[in-house]
Amino acid sequence: MTDTLTISGLTVELGPPGSPPILDRVSLTVGPGEIVALVGESGSGKSMTAMSLMRLLPPGARMRADAISLGDIDVLHASEHEMNHIRGARISMLFQQPKRMLDPTATVGAQVAEPLRLCLGLSRSQAHARVIELLADVGIAEPERRAHSYAHQLSGGIAQRVMIAMALAGQPDVLIADEPTTALDVTVEVQILQLIAAKRAKLGMSALFVSHDLGVVSSVADRIAVMYAGRIVEEGTTREILHSPQHPYTKALVKCAMLKPEADGSLYTILGDANAARAVSHGCRFRARCLVCTAEHLEQKCESEEPELAGCGRAEHSSRCWATIETRKAR
Amino acid sequence: MIFLLRRFVVLLCTLASVSFLVFLIPYLTPGDPARKILQARTGELNLDPSAVEAARVRYGLDKPVIEQYWNWGQNALHGDLGLSYTSRTQVSDLVGSALAVTTSLAVAALFIALVAALPLGSLAAIRRGKASDIAITTVTQGFVALPEYWVAPMLVLVFALKLGILPSAGWTGPASMILPAVTLSLRPLSYFTQVTRASMVDVLESPHLTAARSRGLSFAQAMLRHGLRNGLLPVVTLFSIWLAGLLGGSVVIEVIFAVPGMGRLLYQAVTDGDVPVIQAGIVCIVALTVLITTLTDLLYALINPTVRSSNVSR
Repeated sequence: MTDTLTISGLTVELGPPGSPPILDRVSLTVGPGEIVALVGESGSGKSMTAMSLMRLLPPGARMRADAISLGDIDVLHASEHEMNHIRGARISMLFQQPKRMLDPTATVGAQVAEPLRLCLGLSRSQAHARVIELLADVGIAEPERRAHSYAHQLSGGIAQRVMIAMALAGQPDVLIADEPTTALDVTVEVQILQLIAAKRAKLGMSALFVSHDLGVVSSVADRIAVMYAGRIVEEGTTREILHSPQHPYTKALVKCAMLKPEADGSLYTILGDANAARAVSHGCRFRARCLVCTAEHLEQKCESEEPELAGCGRAEHSSRCWATIETRKAR
Repeated sequence: MIFLLRRFVVLLCTLASVSFLVFLIPYLTPGDPARKILQARTGELNLDPSAVEAARVRYGLDKPVIEQYWNWGQNALHGDLGLSYTSRTQVSDLVGSALAVTTSLAVAALFIALVAALPLGSLAAIRRGKASDIAITTVTQGFVALPEYWVAPMLVLVFALKLGILPSAGWTGPASMILPAVTLSLRPLSYFTQVTRASMVDVLESPHLTAARSRGLSFAQAMLRHGLRNGLLPVVTLFSIWLAGLLGGSVVIEVIFAVPGMGRLLYQAVTDGDVPVIQAGIVCIVALTVLITTLTDLLYALINPTVRSSNVSR
């Protein structure tokens, strides 16, 4: 059985000191065999969370956390050398643009073989045989020929299958998938999602799915955490998030994902700009775009401070909104 | 295969057209070629008209230009480039030995430049914006501004006269190659460093390097396996341009260090009006340049699969 991945109080800052943090005290757990989705708009800090877990943040990024651990491994305090044995072997990652993630001058086979040789210590010929198996296993036709292909000879879907083979090669406990289907055709998207889900179930891995698309993750995730401007604003089981969203932002996201036309025939959109929310130093970061805030006459409260993630009814469901807290109090 | 064949045809066409243009040099410059030959040989300014006529017939200068070119080309293909007007020795021997000297000097200089520039440029890229990057960039950029006629005497002063560990001039063996090669290497070293730095900066930011690290490669492993090769591509191109450029020889360096290379040979030939030497020298340089460019293209295709592929994504 795999171990629990725990993130607690993860804060990441980029740029000059004093600039608003990219991630602000993000806490998240992914239980053994669980699929958790991290959902939010572009720039909300989802990918940064993923890169923090891999300890592969861009140069200049400053990371603080109370804890990042996988079972009894302390990922937060691991040395660079120890990280090289954690990446690929315990935690693997899928990326958004698979073709750009492959070295244009190296063959597919050579790259898939790397985790086999590094993590599992296979010999050259053992690794080659295993590469063919892995490629066939992720549904690539003619794996022998494909092993000798280069990135520019692959379609996006095939490239992502190669990346999946590569991510699974080291037999990791946790798979982080950062928008793995965003750059792919819709028809391919479903195939790739099904492939990831099937592999995850077969190997008993847990997974952290990062996506801006609530529709995509709702089909695979057990739990969903919604991020807004570097913070988690709501967390719950997929069912709870989809059927009884509490935070106004989550409600708006769910409404967007339904793709149901409004009364006037237009599609629902969340007004305003998510990037401006980062500069908000106190109070709720969503309040400028929030319709509930004014409707419930909570302006003062929303402006003065942002509530902690608070349970809303069920044990696993929590959100960060004054309106839901007030309503529950009133009951 | 088709690629090779096409390059070979280009090589032949380039050689034919360049050699014809070069062959026309004596006819494009003012004055009677036959007269110039005699003047070059005897140093006599008042020539006997009958001697000039005799020379014209002897050297085949009375025939049409195209026929002369045809004869010259046929001989050249058999390795016979004629006799030098001034020294009356085989042009092929003169050009051959000068070319050998210049080639070894150029290769030595570029080797020094490359061996220094690759680590320096990579280091500057990795430590971008830090003190070591600024130091490397400033110093190597400064090399471009140093004129060879200043660097060469300074090196001679220090290493030959003060320390006495290297010969000051001449072409007597590997030790005598060091000072001219170092002098010649400074400019390419500077350019190689800049290009390596720029291309490595790109490579360091490339997504596939992050992906490589995400599957457990250390930074050094990722750089060696997936960074260097990509980063080297622009340097390969620049290297070939410099190699081709240096094969013409450097007059300044060859004169200062008394190196019997192409620069001095051609300079002397032009001064003396020694047309066969000029013709053969230029044609050889052009042939080598085209050959180097072709080899570079092949090498480039070898390192970069995106240019060689015929089966693009389906």
